[in-house]
Amino acid sequence: MPSDPQAYLTLGIFFGIAVAAALVPIGLSHLWLRWFTPAKPGPSKHSAYECGIEATGPARIQFKSQYYVYGIVFLIFDVEAIFLIPIAVAFLDLPLGAVLVAAVFVLLLLESLAWCWAKGYLNWK
Amino acid sequence: MNYLELISHVLPEIAVLVTALVLIGMGCAGGSRGGGKAVLAVTAAGLGLALAAVVFGPESGRLLEGMIVVDALTRLFKAVLLALTLGTALFLFPGGEAGGNEGRGAENSALLLLALLGLLVVVGTENLLLLFVGLELASLALYLMVVFAAPAGRPAEAALRYFFFGSVAAAFLLFGFSFIYGATGSIDLRVIAKVLAAHPVEPILPLGVGLALVGFGFKVAAVPFHLWAPDVYQSAPAPAAGFIASASKVAGFFIVAKVLVLGFGVVEGSADWGAFAMGWAPLVAVLAALSMVVGNLAALAQQSVRRLLAYSGIGHSGFILTALVAANAEAVRAVLFYSVIYGVASLAAFGVAGCVLRARGADRLEDFAGLGRTAPAAAGVLALALLSLAGLPPLVGFFGKFQLFAAALSGGTPGTVPGLLWLVALALLMSAVSLYYYLRVLKQVFFAPAPADAAPTRDTSAGTAVCLVCGSVLVLLGLFPSLVLQPLQRALVQLF
Repeated sequence: MPSDPQAYLTLGIFFGIAVAAALVPIGLSHLWLRWFTPAKPGPSKHSAYECGIEATGPARIQFKSQYYVYGIVFLIFDVEAIFLIPIAVAFLDLPLGAVLVAAVFVLLLLESLAWCWAKGYLNWK
Repeated sequence: MNYLELISHVLPEIAVLVTALVLIGMGCAGGSRGGGKAVLAVTAAGLGLALAAVVFGPESGRLLEGMIVVDALTRLFKAVLLALTLGTALFLFPGGEAGGNEGRGAENSALLLLALLGLLVVVGTENLLLLFVGLELASLALYLMVVFAAPAGRPAEAALRYFFFGSVAAAFLLFGFSFIYGATGSIDLRVIAKVLAAHPVEPILPLGVGLALVGFGFKVAAVPFHLWAPDVYQSAPAPAAGFIASASKVAGFFIVAKVLVLGFGVVEGSADWGAFAMGWAPLVAVLAALSMVVGNLAALAQQSVRRLLAYSGIGHSGFILTALVAANAEAVRAVLFYSVIYGVASLAAFGVAGCVLRARGADRLEDFAGLGRTAPAAAGVLALALLSLAGLPPLVGFFGKFQLFAAALSGGTPGTVPGLLWLVALALLMSAVSLYYYLRVLKQVFFAPAPADAAPTRDTSAGTAVCLVCGSVLVLLGLFPSLVLQPLQRALVQLF
């Protein structure tokens, strides 16, 4: 395996450019702020101009955290089930062992569903 | 691929996994009517089956390019992990942690077994990716165990902190592994070692190893990646803390030693005084020195015994990493031996701390007052565990520490001053410091009068039995260290 430190030089230059590209515009806007736009705070200036509507009420509100349990259960059966697609595609060529492994995987999903059901996490309270 | 061969090599893991699933099924069906005994029986049976599978299973094998490795060393450590987990499981039962545990014993045990499953995978692999998956499985189960059986409040905060630290550390670990893969073209430790021996080192390799060290440093609670440990040890239920301090740490040190010495032995570098050379040894030496100083000095100021044990654990990580810097066969033997006896002593200490916590509602130093009279057995075990941690003969801690330091000094040319003398001198100094805070606890236990209104310290017979077994192991191994050292030596000969 070739080991040429020169090869990393472009990487270093690229890194420097990336950092500069992030910092220079911020620095320029700060300079602009200092020289051309003195601070004139006021209610209309602090309003959310073209950035959504004015917020009302406190940010800390009560909401049902049970939603998250639903979210997790959904994740289990939606995202995890995607792993079955490769098995479905290659189903006819699979050896017995692979089919059994897939069956075990499905049984795992089923057990988690049964657990959630029995514990009452699927009932919206 | 032959499935039967595969299954026969991972039979212990399968036994643990099936037991965990059965336990979840029991939690599903059982509800809250005291199934504690049944849960304990199933857990113990599963662990026993897994142990039998380890003992009577195949003696050696290397499947799927190092993903699954069975040799004398992995079998020995799988057996150790199973035994430590069995001890933890006995602590969990029944009427274990006050409150919250009602009706959730099955799930709690299932989590314990899933964490164990992760650790077994970690121990039984030489593949970086599977190693990562195993560590994550163990970590996810442990985050949950910290909060699972506990009331809301502090444990939740500690678990959240553990989770955040753990996820960031896992990200570092995976990022480091990706660089290692990029630099060597393999995730199999043995192939990595071969590539490193045959080719010049790629400039991105140090970055990869350094990032991976961050992840490992978190796992073994080495300074500066230790900040989660005191909160977790103090706030988690005592069995969970005991598991994190024993089994999880044993597996952590096992894998750190294996990855660094087996995979990256070529790029060790040197931390010898006046002869520093770039490699992982100087980094590990810095981690070791910081851990020893911070852990032992911070432990002096603690009022909570579990927090004190956490800082002492950080200090012990430093002691163990000290020997790892030498990176020869003797050092690996000392590291593995000490991690095992540290695990046993920690389990016993947390068991007694949990028992005091249940009886008196807190674990400040004052709460241990008079324990020597109200609960002589528990006090005796605590004394054995703490004195072993402090390294007093004839307990095994002395022998283990002696081996650690002798291994650290063994490197270098004979007749000259050993290069690691600076680190060992620091370790000896900190070892003396540690004696002070262990004795502070024991002074309360044996010489302070018990408060008049002290509730009698009662514990489940299972918990007491585990404590007594741990205590006798510490004494027995102190008198006959070769009981563990010889199998370890034989196993390591195969490895090197």
